[in-house]
Amino acid sequence: MANSRTPVLEAERGSEKQESHEPVAGRRSLVSKPSRSDSVFRNVSYGAGMATVGIMLAVGIFLTLRATDALGVAGFSFLTEQEWSPETQKFGIAAVLFGTITIAIIALCVSVPLSLGAALLISEIVTPKVKTALITLVDLMAAVPSVIFGLWGVFYLQANVIPVSQWISTNFGWIPIFRVTNAAGELATEASAFTSSAFIAGIVVGLMVVPTQTSVMREAFSQTPMGEREGALALGSTRWGMIQTVVLPFGKGGIIGGVMLGLGRALGETIAVYMIISPIFVINWELLKTGTNSVSSLIALRYGESSQFGLSALMAAGLVLFLITLAINFTASSIVARSRSGAESG
Amino acid sequence: MSSPRSFSLIPRGRRLVSLTLGVFLAGAMAFSGATAAQAETYDPITGTGSTWSQNALDQWRKNVASNYGMTVNYSGTGSSAGRRDYIAGTVDYAVSEIPFQANPEDGSPPEVPPRGYAYMPIVAGGTSLMYNLKIGGQQVSNLRLSGDTIAKIFKGTITNWNDAAIAADNPGLAMPDKGITPVVRSDGSGSTAQFTLWMSKQYPSIWTTGMTSQYPTLPNFKYQSGSSGVAGYVSQNYGEGAITYVEYSYAMQAGFPVVKVLNAAGYYVEPTSNSVAVALLKAQIAPDLTQILDGVYNNADPRTYPMSSYSYMIIPTAVGGVFTTGKGKTLSTFAKYMLCEGQQQASDLGYSPLPMNLVIAGFAQVARIPGTVVPAFDPTSCNNPTFKPGEDPNNNLLAQTAAQPAECDKKGPNQCTTGTGGAAGTETAVSGSGNGGSASGGSGSGTGGGTSGSSSAAGGAVDEYGNPVSGGTSGGGAVSASPFTLAQDSWGAPQNIMLAAGLFVVLAAIVPPFVAPQMQRVLGKKKP
Amino acid sequence: MTLIPEAAIPGTPGTPDAQTSSLAAPTANPIVVPLTIDPLAPPATAFVESLRDDGTVNLRARTFIPNSEGVETAARRHIHGTPLEERFNVFGAAAAGISVAILLFGWFAPLTGQVGWAVIAFIGFLGFYAVLVSLKADGQEVKDRIMISLLYSAAVILIGALLFVVIYTLIRGQEALPHANFFFDTMQLAGPLDPLTVGGISHAIMGTLMQIGMALSLAVPLGITTAVFLNEIGGKFARFVRTISDAMTALPSIVAGLFVYAAIITLITHQRSGFAAAMAIMVMMLPIIIRASDVVLRLVAGNLREASYALGSTKWRTVWHVVLPTARSGLVTAVILGTARGIGETSPVLLTSGVTAVMNLNPFDGPMISLPLQVFAFVRSPEPNMIARGFGTAAVLLLLVLTLFALARVFGGRGPGQLSVRQQRAVVARSGRDAVRLTISAARRERALELAQATAGSASSTTAPKETLS
Repeated sequence: MANSRTPVLEAERGSEKQESHEPVAGRRSLVSKPSRSDSVFRNVSYGAGMATVGIMLAVGIFLTLRATDALGVAGFSFLTEQEWSPETQKFGIAAVLFGTITIAIIALCVSVPLSLGAALLISEIVTPKVKTALITLVDLMAAVPSVIFGLWGVFYLQANVIPVSQWISTNFGWIPIFRVTNAAGELATEASAFTSSAFIAGIVVGLMVVPTQTSVMREAFSQTPMGEREGALALGSTRWGMIQTVVLPFGKGGIIGGVMLGLGRALGETIAVYMIISPIFVINWELLKTGTNSVSSLIALRYGESSQFGLSALMAAGLVLFLITLAINFTASSIVARSRSGAESG
Repeated sequence: MSSPRSFSLIPRGRRLVSLTLGVFLAGAMAFSGATAAQAETYDPITGTGSTWSQNALDQWRKNVASNYGMTVNYSGTGSSAGRRDYIAGTVDYAVSEIPFQANPEDGSPPEVPPRGYAYMPIVAGGTSLMYNLKIGGQQVSNLRLSGDTIAKIFKGTITNWNDAAIAADNPGLAMPDKGITPVVRSDGSGSTAQFTLWMSKQYPSIWTTGMTSQYPTLPNFKYQSGSSGVAGYVSQNYGEGAITYVEYSYAMQAGFPVVKVLNAAGYYVEPTSNSVAVALLKAQIAPDLTQILDGVYNNADPRTYPMSSYSYMIIPTAVGGVFTTGKGKTLSTFAKYMLCEGQQQASDLGYSPLPMNLVIAGFAQVARIPGTVVPAFDPTSCNNPTFKPGEDPNNNLLAQTAAQPAECDKKGPNQCTTGTGGAAGTETAVSGSGNGGSASGGSGSGTGGGTSGSSSAAGGAVDEYGNPVSGGTSGGGAVSASPFTLAQDSWGAPQNIMLAAGLFVVLAAIVPPFVAPQMQRVLGKKKP
Repeated sequence: MTLIPEAAIPGTPGTPDAQTSSLAAPTANPIVVPLTIDPLAPPATAFVESLRDDGTVNLRARTFIPNSEGVETAARRHIHGTPLEERFNVFGAAAAGISVAILLFGWFAPLTGQVGWAVIAFIGFLGFYAVLVSLKADGQEVKDRIMISLLYSAAVILIGALLFVVIYTLIRGQEALPHANFFFDTMQLAGPLDPLTVGGISHAIMGTLMQIGMALSLAVPLGITTAVFLNEIGGKFARFVRTISDAMTALPSIVAGLFVYAAIITLITHQRSGFAAAMAIMVMMLPIIIRASDVVLRLVAGNLREASYALGSTKWRTVWHVVLPTARSGLVTAVILGTARGIGETSPVLLTSGVTAVMNLNPFDGPMISLPLQVFAFVRSPEPNMIARGFGTAAVLLLLVLTLFALARVFGGRGPGQLSVRQQRAVVARSGRDAVRLTISAARRERALELAQATAGSASSTTAPKETLS
């Protein structure tokens, strides 16, 4: 191979390069000049990298530039104002962001126990054959489009979750967030007071992010060193004892990472939320009660009828959402990288 | 050396990909060839806007596709979005209930389209109040409301169906103790604009925020996007107690009743094509064809539905944006179809056809479309149901033949039992002080009341229309006058006993296994 | 360092508490262990210190099996499978829980609702199960059983709910799916009130294929080349690119759509089109593909690369002939995963592609609808037929995505360099052929050599064996 290569290179490099190959005294250079194909390759790769960065920076910079118009007008009140009326210069994302975060938190309340349980079961308890099947199934579910979850939420869950909401509100109404009041401030019992709520949207989004969370957590758990597991079992531990003392501490980083990734996705979810909620522009603390909002569904709702300034305001909202998701993702990846399981997975 | 050979799958895979791509492209070309051959004479046009008139446009779009091979895209994104798209030049036409807002009342900047435009009325209709209300588990289909009650409901000051104001409008119904859920549009909408305009003009003391395309945020209101969104919500099971404003056709489609609204003559009227046509006789049309509806709101004709209005297509009068003269040909042909033949289906769809004067004016606007191919207005070739050739353009055949409202629809102690809107087949028996009557809306003359069995059973004094004057006794089959109450689910003594019994059963299942070994041990100790 | 005293070995009777505490916290101070010396244990003289007090090594020290004579050992833990008794416990507890729920809902308490029933039944099950287990086992075991049954329930709820979402869509879609026209017609000639025998979604299927095709034709070369750049060239700029593309995975898809709407539609094309939708999907998909390919390329073993370089090949040849083929299955998976995401996303196309009822095969002019947007557009209508069409479209979309995903599993089930059974068989066959060939040529050469020796009698060739190696 080595013998056969030299002539090829010679031919490629042309005549002036041949001088360097003539036997000369002194040190032989270890650095070889790249061949033409190599330099083309290098340039193409660089070009691709530049193009990628170009596209992504274009998105980021465009968003930021356009958002500054609106942010300049709104100033700090952009974070405190609840009303959304860019046409009258009175707009802010307090209510919208509140809704986004409540939906995401409810989604986590639904998804974390499920994904944690399922991940532990898959990685620690079931037989290898079942394990493979379950991993495939869960990964498959991660690919189900969100519009399908939205359909299910609107056409099935909405009607069937109302009794649950009613039950919670009747029995736990003394906790303010579970309280549902009507216009007169009394406890509401009618079905229509419970539809289109943050609770329903949260359940749907929660189910949507469960597969992602499950696979991240399972991945972390499966890297638990076999020796530690066997040590715990050899000390007479039960399976749960082993999980509790070895797997969970080891996979802590994976759990946090999975939760955060799920949170990031829950915050950005659009279409399922848009189909379910009844968008309002006031902060609604009663989570079971109709009416909430989210940044992404605000964008979906208003982009079409917005003037250039309105678009700028929407971009400011989108930028805030992006920054929040970004912060969450980076925190998650740094936590995962610092944890034992993350460190071992490299 | 063998490594390149073992990965020789790559070129094969690439070949496969290129083969698939080739097949795909060939198929695509075949497809495009077929569609091009079919629609070779008309460029496709695209528009967005109102969901209020979307049902009509969808029907027309389908008709011109099958009759002329014309491709017309329409997407109901809301009137505000339609106007915005027209300003941005991303569509060929837009549909909106209200014109461009040069001086928006909410203080937002004026909407100024950069290219020429004209308003062309396409259809008339009534903004109806679709509702979902049950009394004793039975669908109510004959609800009637006066204007100020409606305004108070949609302002959030009347929150319960058993409010005195609603009961006063409906003497024949025992209104249930149920919260009202007003369902309003979450997107910028022409329906909202028309509805709030009506409220702000008629009831400025109740509705103080003026005309707005965005409904203000009010507690316990339900916000849904698009006409289909609000109509869809109301028609759900959990939508019981909900009421919304939506074009009549949506209520017809969804099979739900609409409110009969009290007009200036003291009659409760349903937004049929006839009552809309009658009402719009009093609409003032500005030179640019936009409507001034104050006369409609207070039209003294007893057949008037007060919340009637026209919907407009915004058509370009200059090439610009995505619009070309080639598209002008399509748009003008489509516009002619809408103004003439298309109007025949308006009544069936739940709209009201345009009268002759607006058709003539519409033709004048169509002539301004660049690349128009439509000849001048010719009454003989225009098959519009509102006029016959040679008539006075200000008349409307529909309005002339429209029936007078039934006497039971007059404000007073009587209430018709006939259903409305999409629930026209459902009668709602009435009781209490008022008595039944049935109105045959729209066909021929009003039949008056007194045809329902319940009223004849009452006997006693009967007035000239056959309705009992004194309302002491109620007819058979009437809804019970006692307000409908939900099933009792309070916790009482029987429940306590039952719970105790349940606990006892559980204990009976659990305790023996625990007690038995101990008992055995005790017994075992005793034995020796 | 001491050997573990016998008494501390778990299972000895005197130290159940020590056992639980040491398990509850594996990091617990090991000093705890020797403190629990049992009186029953053999005398301390039996222990042999491995280190003497002065720190020198005791040569007599050796590993020995502790004497467990006379020591009561606890029952063996079951950590695999479920014994028959256990299954019976589960079955009995489930029956009891369900019965209690039925009793409470049917006769005793005014409770209603399926969810409430399920919750009561589940709580009942847990309670009964705990009781049944505790009849035989200690607290640890009960806790173990309860927690594991909770894990099982979590997984069952999760899988059940997800499958239910999928199956619900497929079942509701059955109304529209049996009509062949649903796949081959467009909605051009179908009005709002037409039955399901009129109209279809071929325009949306074509729209999806064209949009995703365009997005892929941009995102795949760009994404994979960028990933190659990150891995093979490296450097400061590559780190920057990696940071940026990682950051962009956090970009909400609706914001990608908003960007394309504001930057491309309102400023450049002035109309919603398939191209704009493809751009939005591309912006959304690109970071996903880069990240996934980056991970895959990183897994390519360094010694493969080094071997290639050692053989004198250039960087470009190494990448093209070694790195990419090795990572092929992983790259295919990355692309397919990105595709599945891109096909299913509604929010970017909601803003960019526009809604149409007709077949539009020109991506640069006029609206071009795709499957997810068509689902969204259909179900907004209150018309039952439209909703049925919406579910039918959703079912088609779902099947498309799941098929893609299954493909990804087939391709990506193996790590880089791992071969499928067929490929392995091919390799074995090839090496068999090589062996035969080598043997034959060696024999031939030998014969030639003998012949040459016989004829020339003197010459000997040392180059022949070398050639066989090459």
